[in-house]
Amino acid sequence: MHRKSITLFQSLRFRLIASVVSIEIIMLSLLVWNNISIIQATHTDRLRDTATSMIQQIARTSGNYMVAVDYATLEDYLGNIIDYQELSYLVILDRDEHAVIALGTFPAQPWPASEAHPAQVTDGVFDVSDVITVAGQPMGRILMGFSLSLMDEAIRKSRTRGISIAAAEIILTVIVTVLIGLGLTRRLGILAAAAQEVGKGDYSTRIPIETADEVGRTASAFNHMVTEVSNRTQQLEEAESQSRTLLAENRNLVHTSLNVQEEERKHLARELHDELGQCITAIQADAESIRDLSREGDKRIETSASAILDVSSHIYEVVHAMMQRLRPGVLDDLGLVEALKEELSTWQDRHPEIEANFDVAGSLDGLDERINITIYRIVQECLTNITRHAGATRVSISLSGNIDRLVLSVSDNGKGLDQSTPSDGLGLVGMRERAEGLGGEFMLESKKGAGVTIRIRIPLHGKDNRTDE
Amino acid sequence: MQIIPVRSQQRRTGKHKLLAVIICCLLTTPATITAGEKGNCRQAGPLVFGILPFISIEQLVFRFTPLANYLSENLQVPVRIETAPDFVEFARRTHEESRYDILFTAPHFFIRANQKAGYRLIASVDSPEMWAVIVVPKQNDIRTLQDLEGKRLATVPPLGLATLLVRKTLFEAGIDPDVDLDMVITPTHDASLLSSYHGVTDASALMQPPFEAASKKVRDSMRIIARTESTPHIPISVAPTLGEDCAAEITDLLVNMGSTPEGKAVLQHNRFTGYRPGDTAIYERLNDLLSR
Repeated sequence: MHRKSITLFQSLRFRLIASVVSIEIIMLSLLVWNNISIIQATHTDRLRDTATSMIQQIARTSGNYMVAVDYATLEDYLGNIIDYQELSYLVILDRDEHAVIALGTFPAQPWPASEAHPAQVTDGVFDVSDVITVAGQPMGRILMGFSLSLMDEAIRKSRTRGISIAAAEIILTVIVTVLIGLGLTRRLGILAAAAQEVGKGDYSTRIPIETADEVGRTASAFNHMVTEVSNRTQQLEEAESQSRTLLAENRNLVHTSLNVQEEERKHLARELHDELGQCITAIQADAESIRDLSREGDKRIETSASAILDVSSHIYEVVHAMMQRLRPGVLDDLGLVEALKEELSTWQDRHPEIEANFDVAGSLDGLDERINITIYRIVQECLTNITRHAGATRVSISLSGNIDRLVLSVSDNGKGLDQSTPSDGLGLVGMRERAEGLGGEFMLESKKGAGVTIRIRIPLHGKDNRTDE
Repeated sequence: MQIIPVRSQQRRTGKHKLLAVIICCLLTTPATITAGEKGNCRQAGPLVFGILPFISIEQLVFRFTPLANYLSENLQVPVRIETAPDFVEFARRTHEESRYDILFTAPHFFIRANQKAGYRLIASVDSPEMWAVIVVPKQNDIRTLQDLEGKRLATVPPLGLATLLVRKTLFEAGIDPDVDLDMVITPTHDASLLSSYHGVTDASALMQPPFEAASKKVRDSMRIIARTESTPHIPISVAPTLGEDCAAEITDLLVNMGSTPEGKAVLQHNRFTGYRPGDTAIYERLNDLLSR
C-alpha cells in the first residue's frame, strides 16, 4: 500500500489534477467567501443607510406635528411609511417617552436600545432611534425597527447561488482537468517510452504527432533530435573508426620506425665492429710491431709507433663506446638482465652519489629481441631522465616476468613530476610508444616532491613476444 | 439676600458663636418660606406653554424656546411649548380642553378663552399697542386701500386678529373685502407676508410685530399702505386649573424678567421690552371687534 501511494504521489497526472483542483477549490472558496461578505456588507449597509435616511427624514418632518400635537395627521403620514416592506414597527414618543403613535409590530417596553449596524442585531430586528427636534429643541423620539428577514433571505439566495456556481465550476474543472491531464500524461508517457528506446540505442524510434500543441511540438522536436543524434552518432562512429585505424597505422609506423632504427643501429654497430674494428685492430697490431722492432733502432720510430698506438686505442675505445650505445653487444650475447646490469653499472660509475638497486624475478629467458631492446631503451631513458631532472639519491629498478607478462618498474626518490604541466621532451612519449608498440601499458605515478615511478607491462602471450626455443 | 451679612457676621464673631447660630436660625425662617413660594408650580408637573400658531412652527419654537427655558429653570418645572395645526384647533383646545397651562395668544382669543374656559390674565407684553398693516411690494403701484380693489390680498385665517382688524379697516374705507377684492387665506403671518413678496398675491395683511420681526431684506422691499386701529398687546394668561401661587410666581417672573441678565436676553430674543401685570379691562374693548 505504501509503495502504491508513493507511486500515486509521484505521478505527474495525480499531482497536476490534485494541484489544479486544490487551487480551484481554495480560490473559489475565497471568492465565494469574499462575495458573500461583500453581499452581506452591502445588504447590511444598505439597510443601515435606508434606516438612517428614513428615520432622519421622519424625525425632521414629525417635529412640527409634535409641537402642534397633530398626531392624527402625523399618523396618516406615517401610515404610508409603515407599508415599507422591511419596516417592522414605528413608534413616536413624546417628550415624556409616552408612545403617541405606534405602528406595526412594536416591541414591549422597555423600548429596545438603538443599534448601530444591522450586523450587530441578534433578535432579527434592527432597532434604530432618533430625536425629533424643531429649531434644535427635542420634541420627542422616534423608534423604528427593520426586520432582517428580507435581507437575510436575499443574502441566503445570493450565498446559495454563489456556492452553486462555485460547486459547478469545481466539478467542471475537475472533469476538464482530469481529461486534459489524462491526455497530456498519456502523450508524455509515450515521449518517456520513446526516450528510453533511444537511450537503449534504438534511433529508429519515432513518436506519432497527433496534435499541434506543446506536447505535439515537443514530440516533433524529439523526433528531430533523435534523427540528429542518430546522424551525429553515425558520424562519430565513423570518425572514431577512422581515428582508430589511423592510430593503429601510426603505431605500426612508429614501431616499424623503431625496429628499423634498431636494425640500423645493429647493422652500424656490426659494420663498425667488423670493418672499422678490424682495421683499427690491425693498425694497433702493426703499431705494436713497429714499436717492438724499433726499440733498438731509431727512437723516433718508436715514438711514432707509440703515437699511432695511442690514437688507435683511443679510436677503438670511442668506436667501442659507440657500438655499445648503438647496440649493446651484451644484450645479444648475454641477454636482457646482464645488459641492464652492465648499463646500470656503467651509469652508476658516472653517478656514484646515487644508490641504485636492480631486482630481477621470474623467468626472463627467451624474450623476443624487440622486448629486450624496448626494456633496455626504456631503462636507458629512465636513467637519463633521473640524471637530468630528478635530483634523486636512490633508484630502484625491478624486472619480473612470468608466462603472461613482463613488468618493469623504475622508481626514484627525486623531486617528482608535475603531471599537470605538459613536458617539452619526447622521452616519456617515446617510452609510451615503445610499450604500446608491443601491446603493453605505460604508467607513470608521481607527486611533487615524492619521486617518480614508471611501470611498464608487456604481455607475453603468443609467439610475437617470445622467441622459439 | 438678608442672610448673607448675618452669615458673614457669624464667621467674624467667633466668641458669640452660639448666639449667632440662634439668630441665624431665627432669621432664616422667612427665607425658607420664600424658597417654598418659588416652587409653587412643581406640583403642577410639566407646564404646557401654548402659543398661537401665528408664525411657522419652526419659527415659533425658535422664538419662544428661550422664554420657555427661562420659565422652566426658574419655576423648577418643565415648560413645554405646544401649538396647534391652526387657529381654530388652537382655540378649540383652549376653550374645550384648557390644554395650555400658560397661554400666549392673540388678544381677542384671550377674550374668548377667558369667557369660555376661564383663563386668567397674568401679564401682558409691555409694549405699545399693536396693529395690523397692509403691505405691498415697493415695485407695485398699489399705494392706497382703494388701489386694492380687484387685487389679491393675503391674510391670516378669518379668526386671526389681523384679518379682523383689516376687514374692519377696509369696511371703514368703503371697501367690502368679500366683494371688492380677493382675500387669500394663508396659515400664518409669515406666509401672508411672503405671498406678496414672492408675487403670489398683490398685497399682504399681517400684524405689525411679525412684520417687524421679518427679515430686513423682506421688510425693505415692502411698502406699508395702511395700518389698522390698535389693540392691546399680547396677553399672557393661565389655565383655570393652575394654582394661584403658581400663577403668581409666573407673573412675578415675567414682570421682573428685565431685572436679570438672563431675562433681558430672553426679552431681546423675543423683541419685547418686557412684561407688565395683566389688566383684563384693557382687552374688553375687543368685544366689539369680536362681535363684528
